[in-house]
Amino acid sequence: MDKLCKLRGLNLRLGTKGLGPFSLEIAQGERIAILGPSGAGKTTLLKLLSGDLKSHWGTYHFKGKVIQGWPLSELSRSRAALPQFADVSFGLLAKLVIALGRISIAGDSDIGEIIEQAARLSRCEHLLDRGFDTLSGGEKARVHLARIFAQLWDERGGLILVDEPLASLDPGLQIELLSSMKQYAFNRNHALVAILHDINQAMQNFERLILVKDGKMMGDIPSGVQAVPDLEGLYGVRLDMVNIAGLPPLVFPRAR
Amino acid sequence: MAFFLPSSVVGKTLVSFLSLLFFFLLVFFCSQFGAVNINLNDWLSLVTNSEQSQSGSQYVLWHLRLPRILFAICIGAALGLSGALTQGLFRNPLADPGLLGVSAGAACAVAVGIVIFADLNIRLPAEWRFWVTPVMAFFGAISVCFILDRVARWITPDSIAGLLLTGIALNALAAAVIGLCTYLATDEQLRNLTFWTMGSLSGSNWMLIIAIGVLFILAWWRLRKLVKVMNVFALGQSVATHVGVDISRLRMEITIWVALLSGFAVSWCGMIGFVGLIAPNFARAWLGGDQRRVIPASMFLGGVLLLFADTFARTMAIPAEVPVGIFTALLGAPFFILLLRSSRRQIS
Repeated sequence: MDKLCKLRGLNLRLGTKGLGPFSLEIAQGERIAILGPSGAGKTTLLKLLSGDLKSHWGTYHFKGKVIQGWPLSELSRSRAALPQFADVSFGLLAKLVIALGRISIAGDSDIGEIIEQAARLSRCEHLLDRGFDTLSGGEKARVHLARIFAQLWDERGGLILVDEPLASLDPGLQIELLSSMKQYAFNRNHALVAILHDINQAMQNFERLILVKDGKMMGDIPSGVQAVPDLEGLYGVRLDMVNIAGLPPLVFPRAR
Repeated sequence: MAFFLPSSVVGKTLVSFLSLLFFFLLVFFCSQFGAVNINLNDWLSLVTNSEQSQSGSQYVLWHLRLPRILFAICIGAALGLSGALTQGLFRNPLADPGLLGVSAGAACAVAVGIVIFADLNIRLPAEWRFWVTPVMAFFGAISVCFILDRVARWITPDSIAGLLLTGIALNALAAAVIGLCTYLATDEQLRNLTFWTMGSLSGSNWMLIIAIGVLFILAWWRLRKLVKVMNVFALGQSVATHVGVDISRLRMEITIWVALLSGFAVSWCGMIGFVGLIAPNFARAWLGGDQRRVIPASMFLGGVLLLFADTFARTMAIPAEVPVGIFTALLGAPFFILLLRSSRRQIS
């Protein structure tokens, strides 16, 4: 089985800063968390994957074909991305924003139903008739997440890229949405790549961790207790393990 | 994607029918104003009688007033449409072909055409001469569009202030060139030039109405498909690309339409400001931000707005005529300031 996504030695320059090389492979249905300190280049890596940034060197294959050979509309049927900030002008209604995820599908007859289900999955079904500009930060994030869900709703084996999807949400919603995303990706065999700040969320919900620091990939390791020393090095902190009966082990950061 | 709109074919037909009826009444109403009185009989005889037995008032109605009214509606609709397209293109409720210098660019090219090319004494066949002005205006408008797109995106991507400031610079540049042309112009050329800087609908005739009708049919044919996709502009470039829209091609095509429409309006009516700003903003306040509604509604409101402004302009000081651009500016400038106030958060 061919890999979903293959990156070989991607490099790029942003101003005077050189980033990369990034080399990784993503298999279908995998769940990967990108971790690293602020400003390390996590978003750059995600933007390379989503096509927002083009590398100056290196190759990017998607489903066995070079990325440049993909027509945009076809690519949008297998790759969706949630940027960290995405404002919408003109106060479009939330349901229209979600519908725009499926704009490149001709004759899309089920769209009404899909929008409702996608909104329910990202806990924003009560916001559908609100103008996007009247929503709070967390509500906007949920609407955009619903847009991603709608985009790949009836596809299989795609790639979902999310940049800090949980940043402006309360703890209850964080848990709910993370499980929605997992369930959504699992049902459709989509690979899920997410930038996260919470080490515990990453360890509990993702199978693989990609560590980024100073514009480079520091590691590509399976998630779990054995990853703790690498994570300590990555963030420059001490991580204590806390074991509570009936729960997966938690890590607790402390200054070194 | 049809499920947000007036839900059914019946609904759409009803909306079209009602707006058509509204326009008939409006045309009849506005035909009542003017130096010569027009009554219902004149209208009826237009339908029943043939050309030879026309009375004076029938002549006025058919050859002067009716084309003038229809022309005002059409040009207003063209300005409203180009304003709505510009605002969608730049994701910005303050964008307007007038404020951004597109109309000034067109007028500037026309001025250069009148003054400098006339001096070169190029011999053109008579039927080509007619097209010199619109072609010049189109190229003037499209150059400004491209400069705006480049400069504003390059200096300050996605900033309202950056876009408006670039517009100011381009307006100033165009004004300077127009000024230079007035200085170099002969007396007759000068009279022509004043027309373009003031804006007036007095050049109306049936041929121009047919020309703009053809332009609208072409626009309808092309834009029908684009309008649906235009909503993705609101999401910004990166998200638009993620959902599979080739935004640079779309942007290019919309830009050409903006230039065509404003170029046409400028070459026959001069610079009529603010209609392209007001109409889409009213449309958005009325029907929400969905481009599929904003664009037809902007055409509708632009047509009504310019018709009222022009009816005032031609009846206020009979037998003289006030340039309609003065009225649209009187209405538009305060509106613009109100709009600035409501979007001050985005500006700073």
